[in-house]
Amino acid sequence: MTVMSRAWGRLTLPGKVIFTAIPLLLAVGVALALVVGILGGPIVELASQYGAVLRFLVAATIILVITIPTAFLIIFMEMKIIAFMNLRVGPDRVGPWGTLLSVVHGLKVLVKEDFTPSGADPLIFTLAPVVVYGSSVMTLVVLPFAPGLFAQDFNIGLLYFFAMGGLAVVGLLMAGWSSFNKYSLLGGLRSAAQMVSYEIPLTLSVAGLLLLAGTMSVNQLVANQSGWFTNWYVFQQPLGFVIFFIAVTAEANRTPFDLTEADSEIVAGFATEYSGMRFGFFFFAEYVNVFIVSAMTVALFFGGWNAPFPFPALAILLDPGSLGIWLLLGIAIVPLVGTLLLSLPFLLTRSSMPAWQAIVLGFVLFNVVVIGLLGVWAFVSFDWVAGLLWFLAKTYVFVFTFVWMRATLPRVRIDQLMGFAWKWLMPAALLNLFVTAGAILVVGR
Amino acid sequence: MNLIPGIGIVRGMSLTLRRFFQPKVTIRYPEVPSDVAVKFRGRLQLLYDENGSLKCETCFQCAQACPIECIDMGGMDTKGRFHVHWGAAETYGERREESALRRSGRPVPDPAYERFAPIDIAAVDSILEDFDHDPAQLLGILEATQAAFDYLPVGALKRISERTGTGYAQIYGTASFYGHLRLGALGAPAAAPSAAPYLAALAAATGAAGRQADA
Amino acid sequence: MTTHASMDDPRVTLDEQLGSFEPIPPYPPRTEREQEFYTVADGEMLVNIGPHHPSTHGVLRVVMKLDGERVVDIDPVLGYLHRGVEKLCENADFHHTISYMDPLEYVSSLFCEWPAVMAYEKLLDIKVPRRAEYIRVLTGELNRISSHLLAMGFHALDLGGITPILYSFIERDEMVEMLASITGQRMLFNYFRIGGVNGDLNHEFMSRLGDWMSRATAQVEANQGLLNENEVFVRRNRGVGTIDAQTALKMCWTGPNLRATGVPFDIRRAHPYSVYPELDFDIPTRSEGDSLARYLLRIDEIKQSLRIIDQCLHQMPDGPVMARVPRLMRPRPGRAFATVEAPRGQYSIYAVSDGTDQPFRFRIHDPSFLHLQSFTLLMPGQLLADWMTINASLDPIMGGIDK
Repeated sequence: MTVMSRAWGRLTLPGKVIFTAIPLLLAVGVALALVVGILGGPIVELASQYGAVLRFLVAATIILVITIPTAFLIIFMEMKIIAFMNLRVGPDRVGPWGTLLSVVHGLKVLVKEDFTPSGADPLIFTLAPVVVYGSSVMTLVVLPFAPGLFAQDFNIGLLYFFAMGGLAVVGLLMAGWSSFNKYSLLGGLRSAAQMVSYEIPLTLSVAGLLLLAGTMSVNQLVANQSGWFTNWYVFQQPLGFVIFFIAVTAEANRTPFDLTEADSEIVAGFATEYSGMRFGFFFFAEYVNVFIVSAMTVALFFGGWNAPFPFPALAILLDPGSLGIWLLLGIAIVPLVGTLLLSLPFLLTRSSMPAWQAIVLGFVLFNVVVIGLLGVWAFVSFDWVAGLLWFLAKTYVFVFTFVWMRATLPRVRIDQLMGFAWKWLMPAALLNLFVTAGAILVVGR
Repeated sequence: MNLIPGIGIVRGMSLTLRRFFQPKVTIRYPEVPSDVAVKFRGRLQLLYDENGSLKCETCFQCAQACPIECIDMGGMDTKGRFHVHWGAAETYGERREESALRRSGRPVPDPAYERFAPIDIAAVDSILEDFDHDPAQLLGILEATQAAFDYLPVGALKRISERTGTGYAQIYGTASFYGHLRLGALGAPAAAPSAAPYLAALAAATGAAGRQADA
Repeated sequence: MTTHASMDDPRVTLDEQLGSFEPIPPYPPRTEREQEFYTVADGEMLVNIGPHHPSTHGVLRVVMKLDGERVVDIDPVLGYLHRGVEKLCENADFHHTISYMDPLEYVSSLFCEWPAVMAYEKLLDIKVPRRAEYIRVLTGELNRISSHLLAMGFHALDLGGITPILYSFIERDEMVEMLASITGQRMLFNYFRIGGVNGDLNHEFMSRLGDWMSRATAQVEANQGLLNENEVFVRRNRGVGTIDAQTALKMCWTGPNLRATGVPFDIRRAHPYSVYPELDFDIPTRSEGDSLARYLLRIDEIKQSLRIIDQCLHQMPDGPVMARVPRLMRPRPGRAFATVEAPRGQYSIYAVSDGTDQPFRFRIHDPSFLHLQSFTLLMPGQLLADWMTINASLDPIMGGIDK
């Protein structure tokens, strides 16, 4: 016993983890193998029978998981871009160029005390962040990232998007009401007023687009915009785009419409009393929302995953099987030759550099080149890789725009906000709808 | 204002975008020391006169006046007799060494601390009682103490400081000001402690920055 | 109508306190005004802004009675930063009081030292050398610019714009470093002395100043392009906190806030002191009297201050920077009043001497205090968010108000 405990005590922390994990993993693996071996046939049958359900479950899980890195990326972008626009350097200590700072932010909210103020309604107080985060994650379901890369293609996808986006207001109101704090209450009520008002121009602004497209499926809307970039709906619905963009800014509570968490007025609005991971949920939901509204703007008005021009079909036919023995030889020789070739310039020009350093550098360069070549190959020959890249590139342009607006603009006042929605955006959206309808009547589509 | 609504916003956005690409003004502080004015008064450092000797007279007035007790002083007094200290311990290298030794239980090889040899506190207390613990009569207290002990032991000075509420610096200053007050015993003059360890510790603590060019 | 219990009320148990959800009023009400204010009608609520609030420019507590988002009544509560500076000064000798002046209006410290030394010079009948006067004007106007830049940056920050404050700080840091190179400190300068200034201009200061002056105007204007025409900013400010000249005078307003109502009252011209009569500058005014006018007027003042600095550099005579003053200052019994045009208005000091080396009585007049009392006039009927606009445009410094 003592021998074992002494041996255990000498293990480092990773050693302990691995030591415990290995038998566990073995057990799980054996169990899985047994299950698959015995029940393999029925499971495959079931999966093929409910393929759509299985696909949806996998997609939903992936979406839930990718929200976290997305939020981290946008938080980092926000810190860095605003800093650069302020002539500051921004985060540059944690990780290369401060990239890990947002991850540290995430860890920080995880380890902080999860505090419920006395007097708060604990149930609603706890549920509110879940509702807010859930609503923003659920909107991601209808977003088409690339051809064939979407969780679910509803035929009422756009309606679903608006409905789920509107659900967030319930969470914010819950948070504001249950916090037992007047700032929270004001923030919650502000968010209710703001979101309800901006839902209307938001929905009306895409009505013209729907008349043009004749479908509500976001996937179909994106597919309609293929070809040259002139096919994008922004050129047919410029006013609709402007209204949509403004309304969506208000929906995502971004500056200049971030009245719900106006830090110079009502401290942190609905999130005043929140701490720890509950605040983290609000925090992440805000940045996931930025991604979602950017992605939706791209999908509706900027062609989604379509390239701005018809991409020449350049599928490089590479059949590894036809190479035969040369494939093996290539795999064996190409890295060696590539590394040596790429390290040659360093060996020849930098006499101060030892040979091993040059070779290591050459190997790193070789890897970079190979990964780059593979990326280009994937971009050219796989539709969804190209689509995903175009989609993300366009989306992050809009994310940049949101951050850029935050760096520039002051906040509007609550009455100006409401007045703008009802007096300007609403009539403009209606005008857009009527003009579109009239144009369709005249031109006959 | 503008004829076209929104042009002001566009102008502001273009300004921030231009600033996005401009060089940044942040000074990365620990790597790049900031540009401190020659005349800047906020530095805490001991200055040297043109002959290369320390201007500080170890009067402790700065340490005593420091409201947040960030000034910590240790050194030899001007007559090279006593190792004196004021302020929170363990700020400087010499203090760290001493306190480490003391914590380890070993004797501190510092002649200054031999001066803290136990004295008859009762005598000091009775003198203080006679003078009604009045700090205004400090000179009288010190003279009476010297009459009782033949010189002014450090322990007695500390006791006076403690009981009258006067700063130790002030008492030390008074005691070292008057010629007829002695801080060391008459018969056996204190072996002047070597300044070398202190100077070495000082050099280690301040590095090459010990002598600023603008002193 | 319900009155609300307070934590100070012994009859209130903790459970009741948790349910009451109201800021703690003084209990029992000390005045009729408090009685009226803390009596909350149905549909109204009291909201505490401060003392730990991001946009109170210090530690100001403001209790607002809100009807929805509209402010019904407002009660500023002062004194969270009170340090008893006036009493401290009466127990310090004349030189020491100058260093007590600095942390009063901590963004424009030189303007707090200035009236103090002016008052002592009157008491002691000391004539300040002309070069010292020019240096005072030069450093003072630099300090005015840095103070105005800060005010404008925080104005934008309180409205939610995060960038202008940093652009302001870039310029302000230049000036602060400049002043540090001549005075020795970045914020609490302690530079003016009775009978002159502590130290002549030096090469470091002049090179920094020349470097900055060559691009100051362009830089300040470029930075203001971010806000001045911005529709969101203009609409937040125009017509908010409007006050007419009569009321402003009645409320004892001075400085840029008064000039924004159209009254061209400036101590530098109305009661000339130092070498201002020899300098050529305009007194900008605006007639609107709203927050936007107060904001824009500060930009105009910055331009005038740059003009003054330029003239100072050209006209500065040679000579000593300190008069011959006695080491121990024992002025004859008497009283002296000195006033200067600080960035926020008329900053005055009234000192009485009884013949000892300490002032017998010492009184400080701070302009922000008088601007702050107008909240009760300006706020009712406005929205909650307008308080930030009005507060930022009045630009109070709590260090000076609470003394």
